[in-house]
Amino acid sequence: MLLDFDRLGWWKWMLVSITALVTLFLLLPIIFIAALSFGSSQWLIFPPPGWTLRWYEDLFADPRWLQSAWVSAKVAGAVTILSVVLGLLASLSLTRGRFRGREALRALFITPMILPVVVLAVALYAFFLRIGLSGTFVGFVLAHLVLALPFSIISISNALEGFDKSIEDAAILCGASPWEARLRVTLPAISHGLFAAAVFSFLVSWDEVVVAIFMASPTLQTLPVKIWTTLRQDLTPVIAAASTLLVLLTVGLMLLSLLVRKALKR
Amino acid sequence: MTAPFLQIRNIRKQYGDVVAVRDVELDIAKGEFMTFLGPSGSGKSTTLYILAGLQEPTSGDILLEGRTLLDTPSHKRNIGMVFQRYTLFPHLSVGENVAFPLRVRRKPKAEIDATVSRALKLVRLEGFADRMPAKMSGGQQQRVALARALAYDPPVLLMDEPLSALDKKLREEIQFEIKRIHQETGVTILYVTHDQEEALRLSDRIAVFSQGEIDQVGTGTELYAEPRTRFVAEFIGDSDFLKGRVERAGDGRADIRLGNGFMVSAVPTHGDAGPGRDVALMLRPERISLFRAEKPRSLAATVRDVTFLGNNTHVQAETETREQVAIRLPFGHESAAGLQSGNAVWLGFDPSSARAFC
Ligand SMILES: Nc1ncnc2c1ncn2[C@@H]1O[C@H](COP(=O)(O)OP(=O)(O)O)[C@@H](O)[C@H]1O
Ligand SMILES: [Mg+2]
Repeated sequence: MLLDFDRLGWWKWMLVSITALVTLFLLLPIIFIAALSFGSSQWLIFPPPGWTLRWYEDLFADPRWLQSAWVSAKVAGAVTILSVVLGLLASLSLTRGRFRGREALRALFITPMILPVVVLAVALYAFFLRIGLSGTFVGFVLAHLVLALPFSIISISNALEGFDKSIEDAAILCGASPWEARLRVTLPAISHGLFAAAVFSFLVSWDEVVVAIFMASPTLQTLPVKIWTTLRQDLTPVIAAASTLLVLLTVGLMLLSLLVRKALKR
Repeated sequence: MTAPFLQIRNIRKQYGDVVAVRDVELDIAKGEFMTFLGPSGSGKSTTLYILAGLQEPTSGDILLEGRTLLDTPSHKRNIGMVFQRYTLFPHLSVGENVAFPLRVRRKPKAEIDATVSRALKLVRLEGFADRMPAKMSGGQQQRVALARALAYDPPVLLMDEPLSALDKKLREEIQFEIKRIHQETGVTILYVTHDQEEALRLSDRIAVFSQGEIDQVGTGTELYAEPRTRFVAEFIGDSDFLKGRVERAGDGRADIRLGNGFMVSAVPTHGDAGPGRDVALMLRPERISLFRAEKPRSLAATVRDVTFLGNNTHVQAETETREQVAIRLPFGHESAAGLQSGNAVWLGFDPSSARAFC
């Protein structure tokens, strides 16, 4: 190969350093936040003058933090379930259906991914205000569902396209009704796609802040919204602790999904 | 006389302007091995899919033992099918695959176990029950698919080019297995292929498909000996065609003048053979005699190519009118000795072994 890594000589080290720098640049804020969350100064001084778990104690002692985490989990959970179910149904018709405007419909389903989130947030806010859904749990879930569905549809459609429809036909010839065939044969065969859809959907909702700020009410806040509002009131290291936990959970979920997907794909 | 076991009545399938199947009509006897033979795109699979209920015909009817199948949904037709592509359920083991149709039918466990091991034995895959499909070769997967399709004793088994993805040697091996299984089970089989050799080896009767229609139905011997259309003659076995014109016709026979004035008399004809019509005269390569010296009532030609193939020598010759004729000489034939490209030869044939298509 022309650009054989081992034969680049001097350039090789250049590339390695650039990659290291970029990685560091991406990771630094996270490392910073994690370090600050254990720092003893309450003014977020770096490097911390000493180490403490006090901010984590404060965090877990404050019911408002716990409650917002619980809201986040509930919203993300509901979004995940709805997104996978609706994503599966939409994907079935988008990959199997033969109807006019199918490509247009596919594009429409994907638009929330391309649209500026703020535009979407304002539009949803205005609409939900009118129909009385703003500040409600249902409104929250619906809003995040709009953001999560494209990811779900893309993952599941990909899996379905890689699945030979003849296998489902074979199940039907074997005596399974069309829905039985889909449940017992197609779903297990595309389980890696369903799982990816679930993980993406959960994460989209879990760490989403822009739409969430518009949807939130004083009594209904997700964790990112709580971080945001607290940040505006006072700069306490409890925020760093909350952020660190948020990142930890996200990374954990992604690692887990990597393992599960490997197992599902065999 | 009782009604035929399976009747395909005037089945037609249209996709917009495209007619995939054009009024196909066919009776199949119980226990028969019937093959749909034809080139790709001739409507074989579509006909099979309509029988399976995976597609609906535009018009026509399918009768099994006198009752229509069309108002029964696919999963209740109780028909077995092996597909062209590998269709084992990827997340289930071989044994669970074969058990699937029985589980769907809520059979008791003991019966399922017994049937699965019987079906796997039938396809000679005992001991493979715990394997996953991904760990099986293509040939083995198709045998499992066959076992799965036979597990519920279907009255009819459909097979859509099940061996087309396999190499020649394996294909022949499994053809032999399919034939044995047909004899052991007595199941009625409808088999689709574009491979004439496969069709001839397996079938009781063959239906030759061309452009959505059945050109002719018959045993392999019948189709080879009495092809009714030029298409069938070309598709089954090798054939030579010479251009000619009808001089005199009557009683299903015609006298035909070939390009250089050579007359062939009393050739059996198919189609509307009026005097003056252009016809294609069909000869079978192994029915042509080849002479090294001039003979009366024979056609002069020049050898273009000689290929020795063991039991046969293939000779390619060109007539005076620049038409290509293939001739097949058995090993040791006196005319074959020292024959080479450029030699002048004379070709003779019995007019009754020729056929004329209009
Ligand atoms: N879904 C479809 N839409 C349009 N045309 C089709 C469709 N399925 C099959 N055809 C056409 O019908 C004809 C017969 O197809 P098929 O039955 O698959 O042929 P075979 O199995 O003999 O190769 C072909 O010309 C094919 O292009
Ligand atoms: Mg086909």
